[in-house]
Amino acid sequence: MSHDVVEIDPEEEVSTNAPVARPVNKRNLDTALKHARMLEIRKRIEREILDSVEILISFPSSTDADPKRPSAHDAAQFCKLVKDFQPSDFQELIEERNISGQCGYALCPRPKSKAPSTAKKQCVWTDNGPEIVDRKMLEIWCSKDCTRRALYVQAQLNQTPAWLRQGGIDDEIELMVDKAEERPQIVLPLRPKEVAPQPAKQEAPANDADDIAAAWLARDDALAALAMERGEKPGPLSRDDEDNEHLVTNTIKERVGNSEPPVAPSLARDAQSHLAIEGHVPRSDRKAAKDGDGDSENSEGEESDWDLDLS
Amino acid sequence: MEDRENYNPNTVRLWRAYKTAKEMCMDRGYNILEDDTTLTLDQFKDKFCDENGEVQRNRLNFSAEPSEDMMRKHALPPTKHNPDPAPSCGRIWVEFNSEDNVGLKHLREYMGHLMQDNFYVGILITPKPVTGMGLRLLRSLSSTDAGPPGGIEVFVEQDLLVNITKHELVPKHVLLSREEKAQLLERYRLRETQLPRIQVTDPVAKYLGLKRGQVVKIIRKSETAGRYASYRWAI
Ligand SMILES: [Zn+2]
Repeated sequence: MSHDVVEIDPEEEVSTNAPVARPVNKRNLDTALKHARMLEIRKRIEREILDSVEILISFPSSTDADPKRPSAHDAAQFCKLVKDFQPSDFQELIEERNISGQCGYALCPRPKSKAPSTAKKQCVWTDNGPEIVDRKMLEIWCSKDCTRRALYVQAQLNQTPAWLRQGGIDDEIELMVDKAEERPQIVLPLRPKEVAPQPAKQEAPANDADDIAAAWLARDDALAALAMERGEKPGPLSRDDEDNEHLVTNTIKERVGNSEPPVAPSLARDAQSHLAIEGHVPRSDRKAAKDGDGDSENSEGEESDWDLDLS
Repeated sequence: MEDRENYNPNTVRLWRAYKTAKEMCMDRGYNILEDDTTLTLDQFKDKFCDENGEVQRNRLNFSAEPSEDMMRKHALPPTKHNPDPAPSCGRIWVEFNSEDNVGLKHLREYMGHLMQDNFYVGILITPKPVTGMGLRLLRSLSSTDAGPPGGIEVFVEQDLLVNITKHELVPKHVLLSREEKAQLLERYRLRETQLPRIQVTDPVAKYLGLKRGQVVKIIRKSETAGRYASYRWAI
């Protein structure tokens, strides 16, 4: 292309195809304004998400942070920053972290794992037998644990873009908590429903005197264990809440006092009541139990996407 | 014609992309050596391949200065405070990135380099498209003061394998200077918003590095009407 000076030649045929001006009524104007405002908000939020991604690329704040137990500050900031993300934004964060060699989970300071070879496609063993996957898929996380933690967060993200979300309920993002590991550290309030689960109600007629006695016994065991752990005097506990006051804290008194007398426990649970720690029977059969409670785990489909044997 | 069979396909690709990049800069008005745009594959190989025959991408990087013509075309109108303003163009840095996946990290590094060495504008040529967040960063640069004044443009090698403007069906596009644009609107008593549009993402607009608000003249040759021009406003 030469750099000839462009002259505006009046003889020249000029086609402008200019759009014809349309009369504007108020409703069109309002719609246009609304549209423009929405576009502004969208641009602003997209920019904020970009900024969040840039911050989270250099997360966590310390190189020896533990993704299982992030610092309170990192955890709070992470949850706050990803709240406006769509799952696709979260995927892009993972991609950007991988580009700089890091584990995809933003609360993990470790590098992503290296695939066994540099081949583009690789064979790995999964629960469903051997599978061919892209090498890239093997170099996203540092461990299976981070995969689960990241997907646990991603599963909570709203598909609707933040600029279209209705105000009101402010969805808070939660991090995955390890029940087995966290429990001994947290003094949990007594939850009678754990001693006497609801299904028991159907199995046995309620208010049967023996069953109620058994339930109280289970609770007493739990309270005794709690008292022991707190270094309090061991001894039988009265059913009278007022007598309990010198042994247990107000919080617990309130919870127990206000609740119905526990209903009959099922035989299975009851048989284990001597194993109860703070009213909770630790599961030795975690794998089996996991299938039953879907509350904190990812749905099977999502997990299987990443459930590759990285070891 | 050389026997291309004997060349690594990657070498051929980069040779093509390199020549198109040089032509593109020349067409925008930068001072480019004619020889660089007519480089043969053999010459390219001698100049840029290592002893194993692999192209050393970092040797392909180049900078260029705007020509006098280009500075006139991008001249800004004098104001009271600034009677002799600098043109809205300047030194360009063209870089061939070898990363498989260019994301925010590389774009930030590239931006830092442009700023540090006072480049006015940069073109980054990558083997694969940049990430979604990378594109978002590039979009956001145009609406903020961050980055070099002329912005950062990204091309995928694939897009430069052929020079689209050399295709016989693509009419000639010529950028109007601010003055020429004002004359055009004056002569036809038009507001710029009345002109038909061209997206800045249009391949030819990208080739010319059009910025929002600029106007291009498109010159077609027609058997019946002879020469015939239309104008488009870049959005
Ligand atoms: Zn990790």
